[in-house]
Amino acid sequence: MFLNMKLLSHHGLNGFGGMGEGTSMQLARGGRRILWLAHESAPKNFTAVDVSDPRAPKVVVQTDLPHAQMRSNSLEVAGELMAVAYQVTKFGLKPAGFELFDVSEPERPRSVSFFDASGPHSRGCHQLWFVDGKTVHMACADPELKPRNPKDDQVYRIVDVANPTKPRAVGRWHLPGTMEGDDAPPPQRLPANFDAGFRAHNTNVYPERPDRCYLGYIDGGIMVLDISEQSRPKLVSRWANSPPYNGFNHTVLPLFERGLLVVSDESVRDNATDWPKLVWILDARDERHLVSISTLPLPPVDAFKQRGGRFGAHNLHENPPVPGAWKSDQVVIGTFFNGGVRAYDISDPYSPREIAYFVPPAPEGSKIGAVQINDVFVDDRGIVFTVDRHNGGLYALEMNV
Amino acid sequence: MIPDGRTPVIVVTGFLGSGKTTLVNALLKKESETLVIVNEFGEVPVDHHLLESPQERTVALPNGCLCCHLRGDLEETLIGAAMRRRRGEIAGFDRVIVETSGLADPGPVAQTLFADRALERDFKLGPIVTVVDAAHPENRNFSLAIAKSQLAAADLVVLSKTDRVSDFSAALEEVRALNPQARCIAARFGDVDPALLAQPGTEKLGTDHVFSSAVSHPHGINTFTLKFQGPPRKDLLERFLALLVDLRGADLLRVKGIVALDNGQTVAVQGVRHVFDRLRPVSRPADTGLVFITQNVERREVDALWQAMSNLKGT
Repeated sequence: MFLNMKLLSHHGLNGFGGMGEGTSMQLARGGRRILWLAHESAPKNFTAVDVSDPRAPKVVVQTDLPHAQMRSNSLEVAGELMAVAYQVTKFGLKPAGFELFDVSEPERPRSVSFFDASGPHSRGCHQLWFVDGKTVHMACADPELKPRNPKDDQVYRIVDVANPTKPRAVGRWHLPGTMEGDDAPPPQRLPANFDAGFRAHNTNVYPERPDRCYLGYIDGGIMVLDISEQSRPKLVSRWANSPPYNGFNHTVLPLFERGLLVVSDESVRDNATDWPKLVWILDARDERHLVSISTLPLPPVDAFKQRGGRFGAHNLHENPPVPGAWKSDQVVIGTFFNGGVRAYDISDPYSPREIAYFVPPAPEGSKIGAVQINDVFVDDRGIVFTVDRHNGGLYALEMNV
Repeated sequence: MIPDGRTPVIVVTGFLGSGKTTLVNALLKKESETLVIVNEFGEVPVDHHLLESPQERTVALPNGCLCCHLRGDLEETLIGAAMRRRRGEIAGFDRVIVETSGLADPGPVAQTLFADRALERDFKLGPIVTVVDAAHPENRNFSLAIAKSQLAAADLVVLSKTDRVSDFSAALEEVRALNPQARCIAARFGDVDPALLAQPGTEKLGTDHVFSSAVSHPHGINTFTLKFQGPPRKDLLERFLALLVDLRGADLLRVKGIVALDNGQTVAVQGVRHVFDRLRPVSRPADTGLVFITQNVERREVDALWQAMSNLKGT
């Protein structure tokens, strides 16, 4: 299925095509474009693909995890430094936190340091944001904290990596009421079938507002945090859609010049049983008073829910402030599992329009019989790179809008 | 970047036997991701069987003429195709080609796309391609009003059957006389560069013709370009177009162009007879202005109307 997107190439990543939500481009020495991809689950850690020619991608390195009870899921490259998240499947396991790599030679990533966040109440780091080479903003457990509910383990954490060999925790924030010792009462949880947790997910910080973190907080909604004092982040505002919706707020993409926030949910149940999982446009001209003004029009749920696996919103192209990344405040591109990758014109934010999509056929060997498009990165040539969550690997697309 | 994303609807028109189906077949060989809608004039649909496109991508609209009562069917077909595409029931298509009956005025197809708010969300008018028989003068029929309308509306004129004649200057001259603004190319067996169909009709003002020739207008047909002294106000331009349509809409065979406005925006203007598309933001090209192809409306009348309106204080 396609509209204004054409497949340039597809790479199965050597049979390990189950990819997470870490997709980052390095403009490497010699003019090469290296796409770094975090795997969804063991046994692989990350894969680097030379996409200088998007019609002929080449794997340049693929690494293994130390054991099977962990995943990397998320990574980011800033210059020649890469941060890779490590999340374990059970509390107390190691390694939990993130690892820094020197990727000056993409074929030979060299470990520089490891930030340990393991502990009896920690599953480590699920997602991280690292764009300036100095600071990692992440959704990660803090061993100093004990969550009242084990689903609430990962908080917003700030780690100074200006000295990459010695990462240093400098600040954190969690929703009051979720940790032992908090004065606030525990938050009202969603119904058991949708109770995913009150914890951090995406932790975006941009140079336009270095004093703000745009934080997705799963069942807790989204937050704008004042991080002008990194040791003491403060809540500026919060917007929540659940209840009555079914939780799992994922990404907050600010469009500064337009005074908008783009917020994605994540679908986490097969056959759209947690529908609707949407992408919301918020009027953020007054950051203290966020107003939902529209949602991106997804294709009909009745036509997609039985296609296999999940259907609904997930990741967005986040306009990462790094060289080589495409930036737009008129077009939003997101991933929708079996709904593929989709682009929307939001020039009229009250009436977004679908302008392009690509839904690959079910990858060969798919157990669910459908693709599960998981993450997306668009480079400054306009090439859309998107990945499958289970086994489809990498798709390079040309968008013509 | 000004995103659009709507699927272009290319209208292929031309008099009976001019070579439309040959052209469409040749295009399909090069650009397979195409939905073809064939309009035939007769009881039994025939032409769509001549098309070498997968059945699911070919729709026949029999029993009538698109310029008459089949406009509703065209709307229904396009909306249905867009819905089926969104639902994943068909793989997709990058463009639509509407092959009109040889006896149809292509204007109403354009009007359908401008006037239907449900349609314009997914579709936009692409170039109007008029096929003209270069080999057989008797097949051109430019004395007939319908053939004249077909040619006047064209963004691109394809001179067909040039394998059968070495000198097609007569055909070219006839075309130029009626529509000097259209790009004009010669084709053998419908073989044209699909890139010529990639741009909507407004992206070029028709100043870079493949052929050029002196223009002599037949009685009643006028072609001219309205250039603005300075960037006009958007509301003034809209009122001017509205008034022009009120006064002489039936005689505006084609109006198209790009106008730089005083608010810094650049907009495309497209109109056929009484119906105009809304002003749509586009990237600014080197050349701006409005091209008119009219019958019985002269340049001085349009100039005078614009001057009068722009001189009125408070408008």
